[in-house]
Amino acid sequence: MKRFLAHSLLCGLLTVSAWAQPATTGPMPAPPTDFATDARRTAYLARANEVVQWYVDSIKPDNPATFQSAQIAAKLARHEDAAAVSARIVELMSVPQSQDMFWMFPWTAVSYLGRDQLTPEAKAAIRGQWKTYFPMRGDTENHWAMYYTSLYLMSELYPDDPAGSWFNGKSSAENRAEAKAYLVHWMDLATTIGQGEFNPTHYIGEYAIPMLYLATWAKDPEMKIRGHMKLDWLLADLAENTLNGVLRGPNARTDDTSVLQRWLALSSYFSWQCFGNTPPPASYGGFGIWFAVAAANYEVPEVIFRLANDRSEDFLQRDLKRSRRKWRYSDELMSPVYKTNYMRRDYAVGSYQGGMTDPIQAHVWDVTWAVPDPRGVHNTMFSVHPYASAQAMQSYFTELPDHMLALLSSQGKPSYDVPDKILGCSPYERVFQDLDTVIALYDIPAADRYPRVNGFFSKDLTDVTPDASGWIFARGGNTYLAYRPLAPYHWEHLLGYKQLPSKAGYKWERVDRGDKGDKLLVSPHGKNGTIVQAASVGEFKDFAAFQAAIRALPLEFKLEPVPTVKMRTLRGKEIAFTYGQAPKVDGKKIDYAKWQLFEGPHLNAAKGSRKLTITQGRLERTLDFNTLTITDRVTP
Amino acid sequence: MRLRSLYLGLLAGAVSLAAAPASDFIIIANINRNYVIGSKIVTLNGLYQRDAAGAWRHFGSNDTSLSAVAFDPRDHNVIYTAALNGLWRSLDGGQSWRMCNDWSLTEARDVAVDPNAPDTVYLAVTDGVAVSTDCAQTLVRRENGLPGRGKYTQAIEVDRTRAGRVLAGCEAGIYLTEDAAQHWRRVFAATDTVNDLQQSPHDPRVWLAATQSAGALISRDGGVTWAAFPGVPAEHALYNITFDPANPQRLAIGSWAHGVLTSEDGGATWVARNAGLPGAHRVWRVGADAAGRLYASVFGETLYVSDDFGRTWQPDALAGSLVNQFLLLPKAAN
Amino acid sequence: MKRLMLPLLALLTAPCAVAQPSVGAPPPSRAPVPDADLRREAYHRRVDEVLHWRASGAGRPDPATMDMAAIAIKLTLREDLDLCSERVIEMMKDPGTGPFWMFPTVCVAYVGRDLLTPGARAAIRNAWRTTRQLRGDTENHWAMYYTSLYLMAELYPNEPAETWYSGKSSEENLAEARDYLVHWIDLTTSRGQGEYNPTHYIGEYAIPMLFLATWAKDPAMKQRGHMMLDWLFAELAANTLDGVLRGPASRTDEGSVIERWNSLASYFSWLLFGNTPPIGGYGGWGLYFAPLAKNYELPEVIYRIATDRGDDFVQRDRARTRRFWRYSDELSPAAYKTNYLRRDYAVGSTQGIMNDAIQGHAWDVTWAEADPRGKHATMFSLHPMSSERALQSQFVTYPEPMIKGVTFEGKPSYDSPDKVVGVSYYERVFQDLDTVIALYDLAPGVRFPHINGFFSKDLVNVTEDKSGWIFARGGNAYLAYRPLAPYHWMKYLHRNGGWAKEAEDLGGRLLVSPHLKNGTIVQAASVGEFKDFAAFQAAIRALPLEFKLEPVPTVKMRTLRGKEIAFTYGQAPKVDGKKIDYARWKLFEGPYLNAEVGGHKLTITHGRLERVLDFNTLTITDRVREN
Repeated sequence: MKRFLAHSLLCGLLTVSAWAQPATTGPMPAPPTDFATDARRTAYLARANEVVQWYVDSIKPDNPATFQSAQIAAKLARHEDAAAVSARIVELMSVPQSQDMFWMFPWTAVSYLGRDQLTPEAKAAIRGQWKTYFPMRGDTENHWAMYYTSLYLMSELYPDDPAGSWFNGKSSAENRAEAKAYLVHWMDLATTIGQGEFNPTHYIGEYAIPMLYLATWAKDPEMKIRGHMKLDWLLADLAENTLNGVLRGPNARTDDTSVLQRWLALSSYFSWQCFGNTPPPASYGGFGIWFAVAAANYEVPEVIFRLANDRSEDFLQRDLKRSRRKWRYSDELMSPVYKTNYMRRDYAVGSYQGGMTDPIQAHVWDVTWAVPDPRGVHNTMFSVHPYASAQAMQSYFTELPDHMLALLSSQGKPSYDVPDKILGCSPYERVFQDLDTVIALYDIPAADRYPRVNGFFSKDLTDVTPDASGWIFARGGNTYLAYRPLAPYHWEHLLGYKQLPSKAGYKWERVDRGDKGDKLLVSPHGKNGTIVQAASVGEFKDFAAFQAAIRALPLEFKLEPVPTVKMRTLRGKEIAFTYGQAPKVDGKKIDYAKWQLFEGPHLNAAKGSRKLTITQGRLERTLDFNTLTITDRVTP
Repeated sequence: MRLRSLYLGLLAGAVSLAAAPASDFIIIANINRNYVIGSKIVTLNGLYQRDAAGAWRHFGSNDTSLSAVAFDPRDHNVIYTAALNGLWRSLDGGQSWRMCNDWSLTEARDVAVDPNAPDTVYLAVTDGVAVSTDCAQTLVRRENGLPGRGKYTQAIEVDRTRAGRVLAGCEAGIYLTEDAAQHWRRVFAATDTVNDLQQSPHDPRVWLAATQSAGALISRDGGVTWAAFPGVPAEHALYNITFDPANPQRLAIGSWAHGVLTSEDGGATWVARNAGLPGAHRVWRVGADAAGRLYASVFGETLYVSDDFGRTWQPDALAGSLVNQFLLLPKAAN
Repeated sequence: MKRLMLPLLALLTAPCAVAQPSVGAPPPSRAPVPDADLRREAYHRRVDEVLHWRASGAGRPDPATMDMAAIAIKLTLREDLDLCSERVIEMMKDPGTGPFWMFPTVCVAYVGRDLLTPGARAAIRNAWRTTRQLRGDTENHWAMYYTSLYLMAELYPNEPAETWYSGKSSEENLAEARDYLVHWIDLTTSRGQGEYNPTHYIGEYAIPMLFLATWAKDPAMKQRGHMMLDWLFAELAANTLDGVLRGPASRTDEGSVIERWNSLASYFSWLLFGNTPPIGGYGGWGLYFAPLAKNYELPEVIYRIATDRGDDFVQRDRARTRRFWRYSDELSPAAYKTNYLRRDYAVGSTQGIMNDAIQGHAWDVTWAEADPRGKHATMFSLHPMSSERALQSQFVTYPEPMIKGVTFEGKPSYDSPDKVVGVSYYERVFQDLDTVIALYDLAPGVRFPHINGFFSKDLVNVTEDKSGWIFARGGNAYLAYRPLAPYHWMKYLHRNGGWAKEAEDLGGRLLVSPHLKNGTIVQAASVGEFKDFAAFQAAIRALPLEFKLEPVPTVKMRTLRGKEIAFTYGQAPKVDGKKIDYARWKLFEGPYLNAEVGGHKLTITHGRLERVLDFNTLTITDRVREN
């Protein structure tokens, strides 16, 4: 459901982008140098205004199709043409509505932006649809965040309306109470055992936008500050996980494009909007407008802004997240996700421990390098087990087994059931990361649908050198990379996906870009593994010196009975890692049970604490959901 | 301390003008028309020197707030001025200046250099005394013996006969130190401010004081004991007092209420000498140059000069000025 | 010296001939705007009004209209950038001296740091080398001086001593400025404001603090600026009635003390709270807050305190007097403020202390007016003290010249027997809710041996009752004024601020009581509390009241609120038999503002909202309290 909705809406919005978007097509933004409040604020508002202006300019008087909810919101944000906007709303509301929570939050925004501008008729037309149109609540956390935030705000805007005036047959007070209860529950969960849909490349918008709306429009001061705090929390998490504004490393949910071209994600809109350090995607990610129309009501805390922009010092963060809910075939409803995030100026390495977090869209680990301009660049390296399983789908979805795999392609997930896919996680993958070394071990049953490992080798790698030692060396940007497959492999071209016109769901064509395209290292063995190490070019005299250093490192591994590796890393750590067992570093077992919600130089939160401390230099912001306090401190 | 005493080598008793070292005559004049703090200064204020032709030549910074000036006797390019901001020092004859104090000192009233320890500078401020022993590079408060309250210090004067012997004119009276302000003791009790202290250029044991409500005072024992001049009224404030460097019997007082009071018998008798001064004769300061010419700065008027020790006055230059100090400065040794 | 600020305001506002929408418009709605986005939009519209008004009144063909405020605003609006640079170069050829030149120049230097030409930037920088800057002699001077010096030293770090007027290096200037600002903030957050509740000088604090909050590179100074700005505005919010600052003021002037709205404080109320019109020219200094105003968000809790007068409240605060350099046992004695606000009126006072030699205001009852412009909505009495000794105690002056000087330098009424501005050595005040007792024991030989009671032109039904009470109505407030000694009436003649020499008749009367031993009692109530005016009068008459004036004035009475008050000049007041112990007063105590003496920590509360400014840890904490 969500897969279809999200992509249809995104694509729908993306298709209106036939004219220039200054920041999208312009040069890379210069790294911020002036951190004064006025400089940051002026630039932030200018970016929001660029988005709003772009949508206003997209309206073609002779083409009503160009005057949709986003353009209406843009006009209202600018306090322009309230009469024309009102008339258009009446027109749009005169037909049956669709898109569920993706309908709810835009029209909630329009209702608030227009509450002192729209005609009574236009307001009534929107309000009327909340009685006659039955939006579904959806089945993901982001659906519910949008659904309940919208319901909460609309029931505050119309506080005393009777049950009969709402689509769900509940009064304003009942809707408000239910929405508040869920949102508080969700925040409670996210601030104690971690974000469910963690570090999503696109769905960050579905959380950040509702939270901005709560922070801006909630009348109940508790919900207002909760929205503000959760928005800070989300953006701090984004800031920690971006390299020059590009979200990389593991994702609860991403897609076939973002997992390769890491920049091409809605998260890049938020990096651009809030941190000013990377270009926004086309159409500002489609959802960007819904943040931009209310952006003036939020100020990015300086500590988060600096965290996103300062990569002068390497840092290591370990975070705790949650998997998607498993309704069946699992001992636990949600599994803990242990994330490791190592960030350097030239590259970043991120991973979680492997296993299932989402049935379709997860991404487990990668090494991503910095590039001067990330647009069109596939600046990442990783391997996956292309796992496709009806039972896995059933564990998350209320579906029958037989039809799901076949349906997915037409629902916007063309790669789910193909052997060369590079998206998704697997129950047969275990990953351990220490700084810039990643070991991924696979123990794939012979009966598995695709008993192989796919290693992604980008078109943007240079000097790819298979070495007699078994290592494959390469260079990406200012990063040297060493990739070690633990079983025989061969190379294939990675075929892309081209969407074909279709009125009945999605249709796709595979596209071979030949030797200029990305490559896949295919290792058709169930007992398998990948080791990747990375280093900055500046750390070695030359590429040969890097290769020599890697070759010189002790490395032992075996694949039977289960894959196991003993090695010394480039950083001098002695690692022992066996599939299904706790990894050891310098003889000491990693105890994931002791991991905090956030632990590192910048983000810290104890498990179960509901309290996040964000630190950068002498700046500190604490978000305490126990006492609903935001505390800004300057340390001595 | 309006007439700074830097007469090193002067002996007690009458000294002929010819025997006196050649001196520069310097004043601090504010010609401060409609000045508002923050506005442009349209007049030249601060230090002026009388040149050979009798004209007043401005030098140094244009500052409307100077209250006193002192020079290093070894090198007159080293200048100290007491000002609203505190203490300013120049090492190059007034071309450039450093504000020597921080925020803890303000509204300096007077400044003095110890002629026998010229690296030592004393600064009188609204709430006490600060001392520097490194030519004002650093300043520290030295107030041991001064009262917790009542130490508003308008005047500070160094005894030229002994290093570290200093008199301070405060709200609560006259205070004396003999150890460079390590310890102070009160030698005269006042209920209001002591406005001026002067050491005789003729006899270093003789000191004069002008007060707000205790009249004019004389000490003949180096400032240890004080007696009021009986002929000087005490009901109004006396702003300053001066010796005639050319004649030890001649003394003069400047006063808003009385104008100019003079004595030509060492203070035994006093006469008001205002003939030729404007009607209200609100005298701000009096001073005398090496030749014994008497000067009077009249509030809001021009500077006046008298060649007969006040019997008659003639207008001088600097219309609209207030002179805060007359300084007879002996030529530096080098 | 500082007294001469108002004429500068006139200069700043003179060039702008175009309309100022909110100045002439009907008074704004006082209904609070609960929605954050609408509140912010309205705030930004007000900011834009100021910017566009000043920008439209400046530029070619008359570059003289481009003063520093206009330049800062044009730069903010990205207008006429070339002309801005040209004018900066021109103006820097003849720099001013002191804080009132420094902070506008710093504003232009920062707003223009990426917009001015290198030549213009160099011209500003050079002026800071060539022109000696006077630090001034008041706390507001120093706040401006040191903030400006601090920011310029941060903008031009690592530059040698000879490149600064002070003869100190960038680092020395920075350290000195930081040390003073930290000291001042420390003093204010432990013992209270020195220039508390000033009708005009609030700008001289708020603007520098906004500069620090916006531009300081040192995060600690940036945070301090932000916190002090919140602190100042929280105090403003708690002391305004519909945006009008009333009650005691450390420093005010002839215009503001009777027309309470007519002050720079009203500009800040308008801009931040939107609940009163701004004064003409946006107060002049308002032009330097506006370019940065969008970088500051007024905390909602402060906005609600300013705009919610639904519930009566009492705040008791401490403040400091101006420094007494001499003729006082204390450098800066404590002022104890009582502040009672109701929907229809407010009553405020200090205990009666010589907090400022010229511009103090000890107490008043001020009533709400639908439109405060031109209204003299206030009642108070004072001893018109004019004293050489008082002036000497706070200024480095001789006794005689200053009184005359003051009257020629912006305080024309200082030495007038009929003046209505100023505090006295000989006044003691006690307030309980909406009752004020002011007792006077004037020393024989005092320059003006009488008491002036201000009776506004805007009072109605002024009724001299045979009981000795004088009853009146102001707006929706009933007032009862009891002089404790015989009196006569005279026309109130107004001498405006600046250099006004002529007294003009604006209406209103003075109750003149020419007796050394004296006193005033004022009680107030809302019209809605009584059936009619007669019922109010009857209630006042029925209250037990005893007083005697010898050997010192003393009063025993029951107030309209049923409190038994005993108050004798020079003694601690008693309420229901219990002595008032000022020594136990906190820095702030009341429903909205609370802080301990020496605590460096202010808690601002309204409803469920709470903001804590803790200078000990440099933390700002926003909290939503449980229902």
